Amino acid sequence: MKNLSDEYVWKALKEGDLKAFSILYKTYYPRLYNYGLKISRKVPLTEDSLQDFFLYVYEHRENLSDLDTIAPYLFSSYRRHLIRVLKKKSKIVSFDEMDVKIIDIQFSPEEIMTHQESETFKNKNISTLLNKLPKRQKEAIYLKYYSGLNTNDIANIMELNYQSAANTIHKAIKNLREEVSILQLINS
Amino acid sequence: MAKKKYNTIEDFLVDESFNNWVKATRLADVDFWEEWIAYNPHKKDLVYEAKDIIIGFEFKHIGPSKEKIDTAWSLLENKINAKNLEKPIKKSPNYFKRLGIAASILLLVSIGGYTLNKSPKKITHKTAYGEVLNLKLMDGSLVTLNSNSTIYYYENNNRKVWLKGEAFFEVDKKITTNAKFWVLTDDLTVEVYGTSFNVDTKHQKTGVFLEEGKVWLELKNGSTQKMVPGNFISYSSVDDAIIEQKEKVASRFKTSWKDGAIIFENLPLIEAMQKIEDTYGLTAIFKDEASKTTLITGGVPITNLSICLKAIEKSVNVKISRLNDQLIIQKK
Repeated sequence: MKNLSDEYVWKALKEGDLKAFSILYKTYYPRLYNYGLKISRKVPLTEDSLQDFFLYVYEHRENLSDLDTIAPYLFSSYRRHLIRVLKKKSKIVSFDEMDVKIIDIQFSPEEIMTHQESETFKNKNISTLLNKLPKRQKEAIYLKYYSGLNTNDIANIMELNYQSAANTIHKAIKNLREEVSILQLINS
Repeated sequence: MAKKKYNTIEDFLVDESFNNWVKATRLADVDFWEEWIAYNPHKKDLVYEAKDIIIGFEFKHIGPSKEKIDTAWSLLENKINAKNLEKPIKKSPNYFKRLGIAASILLLVSIGGYTLNKSPKKITHKTAYGEVLNLKLMDGSLVTLNSNSTIYYYENNNRKVWLKGEAFFEVDKKITTNAKFWVLTDDLTVEVYGTSFNVDTKHQKTGVFLEEGKVWLELKNGSTQKMVPGNFISYSSVDDAIIEQKEKVASRFKTSWKDGAIIFENLPLIEAMQKIEDTYGLTAIFKDEASKTTLITGGVPITNLSICLKAIEKSVNVKISRLNDQLIIQKK
């Protein structure tokens, strides 16, 4: 949370304070909305699922344990919620790898800044290269650099252990570096 | 740092000095790493891979509009209220007591009126003590002006503003024209290109805190400084010296005022009262030494003096009485 300490808001929220809840809502709505849209690719479905999710969070606030930070909790529960909704919609009987199949994030050229500090990723085709990565690596990249979450949080959200989450991010970057250098060879 | 071994990616990633080099935040680390790489050419690939992991990608955040979020919230709020009517939630008797200071933080900013002096082309906005003003400049940039502060600019160019006092800026990016935005104070110039940051010129120095984006400072002595999010730099042109420099400051300590609260975390009461003095234009007088060093944690509102004083009294067990422009503080 940007301006007010997470903990204060969390405590007030647990007491049922609607004002505290509105701060939480307005702070996280845009980030969760973007994440939901990346996963579902449908605006109405994202909006509806977010409303249901926030209502659930509010109604079950008493069961929430005290948290140091709200962000990883919201991201991981919303992710689970959305996967449940998507599974129901696609009428597929749930099996373990379902979320891996469902979450396939696509990046568009417009959303990536070109005045990058990293020489490697100044490439104009970076979104195309990103989209070629395995699904898990794309999600980890999204959560780290788009949502600004740390590796620990990403591990929790993607239900991985810390080392696997870190490895996923490292592998993604390594893959991209290789792709970029191949492109440079071709173009030179 | 020179004796450490760097064999794996992780060794670089967890190293603070390495991170400082990547982000170019500390000159000493920049020099060290440039040299280190020159002496360890076989590790160059590893170094640049680690650098890429830290930098990653910068994304443009294309999110739902504020109106859309507000509408979605009011729909949800109605839904919650309707449900609450069905089965009222019982508040525990000591509800307010337990909320304590947390509740006072949540007080929203009340927007006061402002004066607008239109001399030839100069536009000035000024706030009184205990008043916070939200402004939208012609180019779409947002400015929150703290109490007892003044900002002015010329009608033909609102992307160059002069500041006395304290303000928080959310500068609108001009992607098509690449136009920059400048904030000028007695001590320095902040040069930005779409970002949000806080500038405070109280007490003969200028403190800049960067929340988001990137800014460059041009100090009165001619030197320049690049800032990255979380950085805080305070410079005084009178002393020609950097008074304070921090690499990572939590945003809430520098910018909570614009949401109507000052947040203290284990701060001696005498320092906390300094902020109250600045905000409300009053002088604090301590009747005993012990009260000065009592630590205070919590938040107080900046636009309502009586609630503010009550919150302090409650959290550090002192009695504060007001006599004209003075606040007399004594142990209970």
